[in-house]
Amino acid sequence: MKFKAFIFGLLASFGLPWLLAIVVPFSTMRSLDPAKYAGIEIDGGEGIYIPKRDGRISEGSDVYGQEGCYYCHTQLVRPTYAGSDVWRADWGGLKKSADNPDTRRETLSTDYDGEKIAHIGVMRVGHDLSNLGRRLETNLKGTQLSPETWMFLHLYNPRGIAPYRKNSQDREERSACPSKPGLFNEVSKNIAGFDALPVAAPEGKAIVPSDRARALVSYLVSLKKDTLEQPVPQDLNYNPIQPVAK
Amino acid sequence: MSETPSSADANDIALRSSIDRSLRHPVMFFFTCGALWLAVAAVLGLIASAKKHMPEFLGGCSLFDAGKIDAAHINALIYGWGFQAAFGMIIWLMARLSRKECTSSGIVLVAGHLWNFAVLFGVVGIMLGMGTGVPWMEFPTAVWPVLLLCYMLITIWSLIQFQVRDAGHVYVSQWYLLAAMLWFPWIYMTANLFVFVFDGNPLMAAGIASWFKGTLFLLFFLPVAVASAYFLAPKVTGRPVYSYNIALFGFWTLAVVGPWAGMQKLTGAPIPQFLPYTGAAAMVLILVPAIAVAINILKTVSGHEETVTASPALRFTAAGVVGLLTYGVLSAATHAFGFSLVQFSYTDYGFDILGLYGVFSLCAFGAIYFIVPRITRREWLSRRFISWHFYLSLYGVITVAISAIVGGISQGEGIEAWNQSFLAGAGRAQSYGWGVTIAWGLILLSSLFFSLHLLLMWARLGRRSSHPTLLKGNHAESPHGPEGEVDNYGSATA
Repeated sequence: MKFKAFIFGLLASFGLPWLLAIVVPFSTMRSLDPAKYAGIEIDGGEGIYIPKRDGRISEGSDVYGQEGCYYCHTQLVRPTYAGSDVWRADWGGLKKSADNPDTRRETLSTDYDGEKIAHIGVMRVGHDLSNLGRRLETNLKGTQLSPETWMFLHLYNPRGIAPYRKNSQDREERSACPSKPGLFNEVSKNIAGFDALPVAAPEGKAIVPSDRARALVSYLVSLKKDTLEQPVPQDLNYNPIQPVAK
Repeated sequence: MSETPSSADANDIALRSSIDRSLRHPVMFFFTCGALWLAVAAVLGLIASAKKHMPEFLGGCSLFDAGKIDAAHINALIYGWGFQAAFGMIIWLMARLSRKECTSSGIVLVAGHLWNFAVLFGVVGIMLGMGTGVPWMEFPTAVWPVLLLCYMLITIWSLIQFQVRDAGHVYVSQWYLLAAMLWFPWIYMTANLFVFVFDGNPLMAAGIASWFKGTLFLLFFLPVAVASAYFLAPKVTGRPVYSYNIALFGFWTLAVVGPWAGMQKLTGAPIPQFLPYTGAAAMVLILVPAIAVAINILKTVSGHEETVTASPALRFTAAGVVGLLTYGVLSAATHAFGFSLVQFSYTDYGFDILGLYGVFSLCAFGAIYFIVPRITRREWLSRRFISWHFYLSLYGVITVAISAIVGGISQGEGIEAWNQSFLAGAGRAQSYGWGVTIAWGLILLSSLFFSLHLLLMWARLGRRSSHPTLLKGNHAESPHGPEGEVDNYGSATA
């Protein structure tokens, strides 16, 4: 094998996949054409689909990454050919009920806008979080806890509070999530005020969430990647096939 | 490539020992620091795994928070141990095979120190919550340019050595080394630029990060391991490589298949559809180069079973090659049938560890057991330490493979069963998690034997003997080349 032929072989065998699997898809994906609604009566929207999301998305997504949440949680609702995510009770959205239509959908390419990297995730030791905000909002309705407070309490001590699901099949579940004490500060009770979490603290002290915890929780409760508040153009919404129920 | 006492004339031996002497400090530095990082990575891996099935474990200490510790663990393993072992192997093998002394060991050593500081900064940065959140690239973004610079300063001399070598045969090992040396900077720059510098869709950033994960193993760690196997198998047994054509075939199939791997992790994500498919196809086809390499190496050493068991270098290398075959078979099976089951289960981590430890590290240990006596001019102190290191490593990596890869399939089935409670499925992971924790315990123990042994050798406390340390009762005959190659030629100090 001649040296020149060797180098040429390496350039070709690596350069081609590099162009086809990295460079070209990268430039395609950075300027996707926005999706258009088909019309109010067809898919419930008009004009161009602009995903809406409230909260400290960019900051919170960074904290999510820094804390390594993606090692145990995913954020990907796969199409039915690739997995059963949309069929699970509330991962892809809400099942049809008296209060809401079927809001489930797959993950869209715009779902991670504003984040530096899509936290697809490594493993599912815990739940998929694509619709964590939606689950919290629905399940905590009528209780004293706001989604934010529930999240703070969960991060501080995951097994110190009752699960948020009231009627679901996971009623009995005990969280297996390790706590994140590093996200909270212990301050004097006098300056904590309304920020103090309702948890045990030493005499005269209170536990308050740090700014990073606030950003993270703001991001987490913003995870509502379904069609409840904002319909999705029909081109992007492959309504999940309703499997023959259990 | 075979060298028998009769063909190795005095000049040849003098050249070899002067090459060894010129590389003594950098190579020992890389191996020893690498071994210590491996021990650190094993401790972190133990804690990270324990937290997945015992969430209260070390709960009060925010430095060891779950998630961050996973990142610190895998990065310490890759950049602390993996790369430094690879550096030692690359610079020594390339110098020996090109028959050129290293004239820049000072620069290599300085770059090596800088590399260690950068990795330390990165790992501590991750644990303090400054990581980037990109799997396998979690070091704070200031670290990657430093690592790339160090990499260049460490390996450029090996490229030069290859270029100025006296014309002659190019060994199979050299193809793999050259290719790995050229692939890595391309992969590393692409990954970091496209993820951290260029502004793109966050999904594509995730895709490219997965590609980095796939190609870093297949196109850097794997070729370095294979290069070492192609050097040691003929060298220790004293026979030529079984088949040149199979070697050629194995190399080019890896070169063609490897660059596509990685994006199967994003199956079902809204990225161009062919990317996950080609990624999964590459992970199936990787069986082809794996079989080619395994056949070639195992055929080369077949008939020398006694040497394979007696020589620590060959024993570890053969185990690594069997590891590669296992990796290929399991990878082809899981990626061809029901990948959706294992996409987000322990299986993926199992492949990472089987690749990094069961293939690369075992081959690296083999190389280290061969190289260190030559550059320190001392023989390994304890047969028993080597045996313990071998068996604990082997049981450790087998436990990981069984718990994570096979267990991950069962865990994946549980997660995919949508009409059951999620925790009922995820709960299956708890018992397999115990397996992974135990495995890291075994690997930690093995790496303690190994690091201690290596530190003693670094301190030049090895045996002054002309008989290599073999894993059998007597030292009557030596499969490690001519008697006294280590001790009897020239002064030990430059």
